[in-house]
Amino acid sequence: MSEFNPRILVFSTDNVSDPGIDLAGRNKMHYPAKVFVITLPCSSAIKPRWITHALRSGFDGVFIAADGSDCSYVPDCTKRTAAVVGSAQAQLKEKALEPARVRMAAVCSVCAESFQKHMLSFSAALRKLGRADGRKVQGGGHGL
Amino acid sequence: MDYDVMVVGAGIAGMESAVSLGDMGYQVLLVEKEPSIGGKMILLSKVFPTLDCASCISTPRMAQAASHANIDLRVFSEVREIRADGSGGFRARVAQKPAFVDFAKCTGCQDCEKACTVTVPDEYNEGLVSRRVAHIAFPQAVPKKAVLDRAGTSPCTFACPAGIKANGYISLIRQGEFAKAFQLVLEDAPLVGTLGRACYAFCQRECTREEIGDAPHIRHLKRFVADWYYARHAEPEYGPTEKKQDKKVAVVGSGPAGLSAAFFLAREGYPVTIFEADAEAGGMLRSSLPDYRLPKDVVDRDIRNVTALGVEIRTSAPVESLSRLRQEGYDAVLVAIGTPKPRKLMVPGEELPGVLSGIEFLAEVLCGQKLDLRGKRVVVVGGGNVAVDAARTALRLGAAKVVLQYRRSRAEMPASHEEVAAAEAEGVELSFLSNPVAFAGENGRLRRVRSMRMKPVAADSDGRRRTIPIPGSEFAADFDLAVVAVGLSAEAAALRREMRLNRDGTIWADARTLQTEAPWLFAAGDAVTGPAMIVQAIGLGKQASFFMDRWLRGESLEGGEFAPRLPVADKQEVLARQAEYPGRSVEKSERHPRERVKDFAEVDLPFTAAEALASAANCLNCGICSECQECRKACPADAIDFDQREKVNEYNVGAVVVATGFRLFPAELMENFGFGRFANVISAMQMDRLVAPTRPFNYVLRPGDGKTPANIAYVLCTGSRDRTVNNPICSRVCCMYSLKQAQLLLGALPVADVTIYNIDIRAFGKGYDEFYEQTRAMGVRFVKGKIARISEKDGGNLLVRYEDIDDNGTVREAEHDLVVLSVGIVAHDECRRLFADGSLTVDENLFVAQPGRQVDPARTSIPGVFSAGTATGPLDIPDAILHAGAAAAQTAAYLEKMKRKP
Repeated sequence: MSEFNPRILVFSTDNVSDPGIDLAGRNKMHYPAKVFVITLPCSSAIKPRWITHALRSGFDGVFIAADGSDCSYVPDCTKRTAAVVGSAQAQLKEKALEPARVRMAAVCSVCAESFQKHMLSFSAALRKLGRADGRKVQGGGHGL
Repeated sequence: MDYDVMVVGAGIAGMESAVSLGDMGYQVLLVEKEPSIGGKMILLSKVFPTLDCASCISTPRMAQAASHANIDLRVFSEVREIRADGSGGFRARVAQKPAFVDFAKCTGCQDCEKACTVTVPDEYNEGLVSRRVAHIAFPQAVPKKAVLDRAGTSPCTFACPAGIKANGYISLIRQGEFAKAFQLVLEDAPLVGTLGRACYAFCQRECTREEIGDAPHIRHLKRFVADWYYARHAEPEYGPTEKKQDKKVAVVGSGPAGLSAAFFLAREGYPVTIFEADAEAGGMLRSSLPDYRLPKDVVDRDIRNVTALGVEIRTSAPVESLSRLRQEGYDAVLVAIGTPKPRKLMVPGEELPGVLSGIEFLAEVLCGQKLDLRGKRVVVVGGGNVAVDAARTALRLGAAKVVLQYRRSRAEMPASHEEVAAAEAEGVELSFLSNPVAFAGENGRLRRVRSMRMKPVAADSDGRRRTIPIPGSEFAADFDLAVVAVGLSAEAAALRREMRLNRDGTIWADARTLQTEAPWLFAAGDAVTGPAMIVQAIGLGKQASFFMDRWLRGESLEGGEFAPRLPVADKQEVLARQAEYPGRSVEKSERHPRERVKDFAEVDLPFTAAEALASAANCLNCGICSECQECRKACPADAIDFDQREKVNEYNVGAVVVATGFRLFPAELMENFGFGRFANVISAMQMDRLVAPTRPFNYVLRPGDGKTPANIAYVLCTGSRDRTVNNPICSRVCCMYSLKQAQLLLGALPVADVTIYNIDIRAFGKGYDEFYEQTRAMGVRFVKGKIARISEKDGGNLLVRYEDIDDNGTVREAEHDLVVLSVGIVAHDECRRLFADGSLTVDENLFVAQPGRQVDPARTSIPGVFSAGTATGPLDIPDAILHAGAAAAQTAAYLEKMKRKP
């Protein structure tokens, strides 16, 4: 049987973390192939229901590559994004999914290596958790 | 007032001033000439002495400047002029340079970059690697928008009357994209195979590479893609377009002009019917171009490119009346009947059997009538292409002797010189400066041709020398056949009553729109211009179709610009781009003259794919962008716009901050150091790129051979503190950035030796001296002594000759495998251009002058204009930011003062 390769959805920000992720690709750094990136202006605008929706739709983990203190929109971006993650994790718990399927870290515009490491360790952690069986998650919005 | 303040330059200082002023609530216009903000700092590896990552700390600032509610950012824009408005404010003209990308639509996906077929040196990586012409400046670019580099229209493309993008299809061939190359030609002309063989290639004559040798064989490359494509696609891959128009069009004549017009009209969705008087379509292509130049199966296949769109061709259908066509329901009619009427010599005996006109002769042969000229003597009179074709055809029919007789000299022959040379090689005898005066018969057939020698006299009104007969010079020769090919004229007799004609019998049509006096009636091709080239007829057919379409849609013909294009690229600028242009010589091959005169098979042999690739590789991409259209086709947002042009806007602003930054000293000016000549002598900015997180390679290498350097030298004060290059000042940052790079190199290459040659080390800022001591302790060698000369050894290593001050000034030489020139800082001339009246004064080193430097650091010679950052002189990053902060504060104070002014 082939090895389980977790599908990871990454939310990145267009000016800060996205160039860093892009750079990892340009430098041909190896990280799991089942990483999919969606870019937005600011991580604080992510809705917790998007995260549950992603896990219900076939992703095994969601990673938020946040700007941290580098955010150009809101000074308390880290706090707001952390609240999004907290709320998403609470929702996951209710649906009997592991909160560890959501991770958040600051990724700068050249943090290609750090992004690669995050993806490798997150993928390894998700492998231990196994598939996020979408059927367990009931309800939730259709925000994506 | 449009803006409270305009900040010119969005490097770290400009961004700092703009964000500070924006935070204070002022409306800021931030203008940057590059496609991305960030200046030089974003391209650096780390900053000294903290070794923070330069791009990590720049990008948030860039994002902030770009997304700030009070800042309007204009990238890829240049301030053209600023004038004081007399009441304390300013009027600024800002040009938005054409990026050929609609920034509002571009999402930064880079699909255009992947599709682009031309590479150029990447200036953001200091030329160490290449980038595509359609590109996003660098991965951290803000805004992340693509830009196309265009230096004009390439001369080949510009020269083509049909607007075929020669540079574009060559670029596609170079990529091995033969089908796409064919499609690109087809976008501009339906008769790809014909043009690939029988075009007289204006493009080739204009090719810049013709000046230095190894020019790509442009027409033959076109033939290659046509052959390649037709061999794989016996029929076009498309059918009629989905677009349907309710108006019908008739085209009279199925020559190149008519076919071209029909093709473009059908692509717009019009039902088009072509009326052809002859039994087969193609006009002159079929009736007067011999098979050895243009096989008729190629013409047939070319025509199917037109008919596949649903165009109906009615052959043997001469049109007697244009107005009847109109009555039959055609909303517009194009007349493209060519110039099929041969001119006569008007000499006695011209009506004798055995005297034929050039096109009669060619038509007879091409329509399959067997003419046996074995053992016959043939004279062809004329100097044009029809004459040459007739002469070469006569040879192929077995003629024992073929003379081409022309009344002027060889240089004045209107025929293609290539064709004349080919005729000569095949055995056609050329006779210049003589003209027949009579054809004499025997038994009712031509027997002798009597001619006179001619001499040139003063130029005619058309600029060509006239010739007149030399009295008493008459001579005679025996010939069995005379072919008179002295020109063609229009034959519009039947339609004459319905159209206004020019004095020479051609049809009068508006030169731009090709509309005749009757609005529904257009005319194109030789019928309008008189005899011309195939490609010109195709171009006119296309032009007519453009205006017919506008007219049929009820639009005014006044506004429409047909085929807008950039001015032609400057050849001298193209040749100045590179020091040398290595090329591979690729000659097209042809059948031996002795062989080819035996039959009508093609003379030119086709390129092999390898030859085509090699010939295309010699293209210089004169326009930089080849206009291959791949980016336009790849863009999912439809953002590529080749018709974008510069737009100049005017703004009223309350104050100006000049943050135009600095330039790095051009290291090639230090001739003794060999920068630009020795591959392993690089500038410090190149080294910064090699060690930056966004580095072009994932390791440090020397450019000469890609080896990892083990013994690296730094030459401080390259182009600063040096009167010989007129830059006596200290650049302040070179010592420290060199120390920074030395530390980074020791991290990346732990076994490397690093030597820093210096006059002295200037480490005066906060933490700088400690940084110096730390660098020393890490094992970096410091040699006090000025470098006199660098020379290159075999294998690429470098000999550095220096004066060792610590050893009583002994002159020594040391070998290194990589030399880094720590180049100084010089003033940017942009700041001097901003104020056309010269009111912004500069100091003796051409930096923006600071009249109140001690207490008023940002004040300039103009009230209301402030300076920020290195526009005023060399500064390190923290000082540039401090200065920019001061500029923001002083600007705010000025704005507040002006508000309170009564």
